[in-house]
Amino acid sequence: MQTKTSTFRFLLFIVSGFLLVTLSLVWWNSSRQPIPIALTPTLSGETEYCTTCHADLPQISVSHPVETFGCVSCHGGERLALDADLAHSTMRGGANPSALSVVETSCGGSNCHSGSEADDRHHIQRVTTSVQSTYAGAISNILFTFGAQPVLTARFGIAAVTDEDTKTGITSLLAFDPFNVDHQSIQKFGEECLTCHLHAEPREGEAFARETGCAACHSTGEHNLTTAIPYTQCNACHNRGNYDLRTMTFIERTDQPTDRLHDYYQPIAQFTQCEYTLDCIDCHTRSEVMGDGDIHNNQAEVEYIQCKTCHGTLEEIPLTKTLTDPNDIAFTLAFLNPIVDLQLGDTILITEKGEPLWNTKVLPNGTYEIIGKATKQYFTFNPVMGSACEQKPDEQESHYCHECHAIEK
Amino acid sequence: MNQISRRDFLKLARNGFLYLSGALATGGLLRFLSYESESTRKTEFDLGSVDQYPLGSRTSIPEIPALLIHTDSGFAALSLTCTHLGCTLEPDETGFACPCHNSAFDAQGNVTHGPAVKPLQVLRIEITNDGNIKVFTA
Repeated sequence: MQTKTSTFRFLLFIVSGFLLVTLSLVWWNSSRQPIPIALTPTLSGETEYCTTCHADLPQISVSHPVETFGCVSCHGGERLALDADLAHSTMRGGANPSALSVVETSCGGSNCHSGSEADDRHHIQRVTTSVQSTYAGAISNILFTFGAQPVLTARFGIAAVTDEDTKTGITSLLAFDPFNVDHQSIQKFGEECLTCHLHAEPREGEAFARETGCAACHSTGEHNLTTAIPYTQCNACHNRGNYDLRTMTFIERTDQPTDRLHDYYQPIAQFTQCEYTLDCIDCHTRSEVMGDGDIHNNQAEVEYIQCKTCHGTLEEIPLTKTLTDPNDIAFTLAFLNPIVDLQLGDTILITEKGEPLWNTKVLPNGTYEIIGKATKQYFTFNPVMGSACEQKPDEQESHYCHECHAIEK
Repeated sequence: MNQISRRDFLKLARNGFLYLSGALATGGLLRFLSYESESTRKTEFDLGSVDQYPLGSRTSIPEIPALLIHTDSGFAALSLTCTHLGCTLEPDETGFACPCHNSAFDAQGNVTHGPAVKPLQVLRIEITNDGNIKVFTA
């Protein structure tokens, strides 16, 4: 009896000790949790604790202040969790909510980036039907070249996409699966050559580093969104090398550029000064780059800016427009990248499709001014009309201009 | 020196363990119960005495954010939260401008430039018996 009581007492001692150790561990573990920092963004009105750990992140853009948007509206995630794994477990697109697979949930909405065409807020629809996203031209070219489709018309895109209101006659594209085609070169194309569209993760290497989706172009640094996109961002895909159609492989550039011209372009062509002094987005318009909302066959179908867009021809000065409507899209674009103080009454250049070249201005002396959207540099230039240029008005492709104006490679 | 028996030592230690466990458990429970997972948003703001806001004044109240206007008709408060997505507006020559998406409102809170489509919210005001102004956002 005495032994049993003694054993019981000892057991009680062990159990109470174990209880204390367990509770101490629980207390210690919970004390290690950071003190939560609450943020209740105006947009959602729901408290989130993301800034407990992410207070040091820079504000992503002027248009997306954290006090208004918070983090969860765009990124998803468990807003009240303090454990990193749990908090991140339901994030959309990992660290990139603009990945095209989740972009509608992250960036969409009628007040945001999937609004109406009339309001010019159908960005997601434009991007997902653009050739940067569908890669339709490359795919149809390969399929046509190797006899897998009889015409060059686009039938496939990286992802299936539809556009019932298309102005191009192409109402849909099927999702391309190179392994559905019994041809070695097409399958190799699928393995080696599908790394430069907006759905694709980039190739390995610093020169190719970019995000996918919207951030592929608009994110130029850590937690940053911008419309001031330098050529270096475009060059994560463009001008990085060439596809060898015999081996169906990508051959990277091997040159070691030491200046802007040679960094900008591969050493295989000629360029005028403005083609490398300016950035890509200084000339190429929103509809060319981000799409116009319609499905197109290929890149050649969407690119329409020529030298004459800014310089005119011997017979015509470039198209211009005097801004009289305060709701003109030019003001919105200038607001998003405030490099120029655009005013009502200013006259700017426009493209043949009426897109505003809002970073240009017609000067009182009849010459023109352009401000670099990324560099903020000012340049003035003259119209061809009245100059000594002898170029025929119907020969305006760049190679004609290069005959006289190309700089030494 | 008295030697403590094994039985007393076990008893003492056990009781000590249980007291400490009880204290920890109570502390943990209090901490759990006092944890506020959802911070409550303030909807009522006491702006102090009416005397601080003379006739004709237009006073920005960043805390809300709102503009308190004192006219012949009395006091009025205009929300300075943009009706598009909720950014805080900044005053300009003609009214208020949104630094996020370029919406603009006139001095009365009417939309003069999109993307906002709704006018600014007029907030409820109450003058208390002791002469203070209270503004309510909900």
